[in-house]
Amino acid sequence: MNWISNLFSKHWRNIHFAIIILISLILIIGYPSLNRFISQVVLATVYYPFFKVKSSFADLSSIASERDQLQEALVEASVKLSICEEAKRENDRLQAALRFTPLAGYRLTPAKVIYISGFGRYLPVSATIDRGAKDSIFVNMPIINQDGLIGRVDSVMDNFATIQLLTDPSNRVAARLAGSREMGIVKFLAHGGMVLDNFPIHGAIKVDDTVLSSGLGGVYPAGLMIGTVAKITRPENKPFCEVKLNPAVNFRSLEELFVLRLERK
Amino acid sequence: MIRIVPFILYLFLIGMHEVIIKQATTISSVTIDLPGLLVLLVALYKPEIVSIWFGFIVGLVMAAGRPDLFGWHALAMAVLGLTAFHFRERLNLESLYAKLALIVGGILIHNTLLLIIEWGEGFFYLFLVSALPGAIYTTIGAWVFFLFKEKKITFQKIKSIF
Repeated sequence: MNWISNLFSKHWRNIHFAIIILISLILIIGYPSLNRFISQVVLATVYYPFFKVKSSFADLSSIASERDQLQEALVEASVKLSICEEAKRENDRLQAALRFTPLAGYRLTPAKVIYISGFGRYLPVSATIDRGAKDSIFVNMPIINQDGLIGRVDSVMDNFATIQLLTDPSNRVAARLAGSREMGIVKFLAHGGMVLDNFPIHGAIKVDDTVLSSGLGGVYPAGLMIGTVAKITRPENKPFCEVKLNPAVNFRSLEELFVLRLERK
Repeated sequence: MIRIVPFILYLFLIGMHEVIIKQATTISSVTIDLPGLLVLLVALYKPEIVSIWFGFIVGLVMAAGRPDLFGWHALAMAVLGLTAFHFRERLNLESLYAKLALIVGGILIHNTLLLIIEWGEGFFYLFLVSALPGAIYTTIGAWVFFLFKEKKITFQKIKSIF
């Protein structure tokens, strides 16, 4: 036994070389199954954990980019949704407008409001529409929408026209009550809102009465809806009532409107 | 008793390099030959038997994707470790440049052996485009390592610059 021990200690280095060469030769000459087994062990222990880390990072970055794409898509979808909602509202308005029939003997020219002036604390006083002289629009043509009278054409350019709205204090409309047919003058006070002026103190009027244009004055045809009576005050020793009106038209949301044109026969 | 934990960590370092770092450090097909560098560094600082066994194992690890070439890679790495160890012993390498010369020579031989083992078309082209620049690139990495190891660069010195 001693000689074996001596042999090992003496040739210890060479034994290592021999083992390494032997294993290498076995691997070279070949047991493919052994090679595959070693390959699997090495891959599973040395490489796989890092593959896992790398793929996790790749997953994270792909999730991040996916999230960015989804956020972008969400913004795009919400923009589309608001466009659709706006289109629906416009559709509702236009459908309501289509149901609106003009006065007999008149023709409607549709127009869009492109600018409103006087917006602020008070109601607007004028608006600009996308129709003008080229569309046969003339000064003093009445402007209406499905709710009622809006105003009249104040000035005309080739492609645009300016409207003096009923909310302009200098604009006055001869009016009458739909029920009693009694007349007055509708005007707009900057601090008092729309009123029916010059209405007799003992006139037959009550709250919620409808006020229409009377046709007097030559600008507005008779029968256009102006508003409803909101409040009546009958001061003593005065010849006229103080009548406040609720305008039929919402002057803060003017978009589509119609120019009322006399139909040529 | 030889502590094997650092060597296992070296193997994992090779795994990490191959899977994660290699892609980032490759400059137009020129890569750092980390397995070869580690075998040479072990041969520079460790005993002979350790060097050849480490070379052998590293050869197995780096050939994990090519089981048919296991033996050749393992043998080549073991021979590389043994040769580097004997160069160190006989030439008594102490200076930085001598060590770098050993590294560049060793890596060049290793890269050449790899080209021969995985023999394909365009040996000379690959030698010029990949093996030689790879050896230089790896030597630059080794130079940085030696600067840190021999304390010519320390973190305190780097800190003091800023």
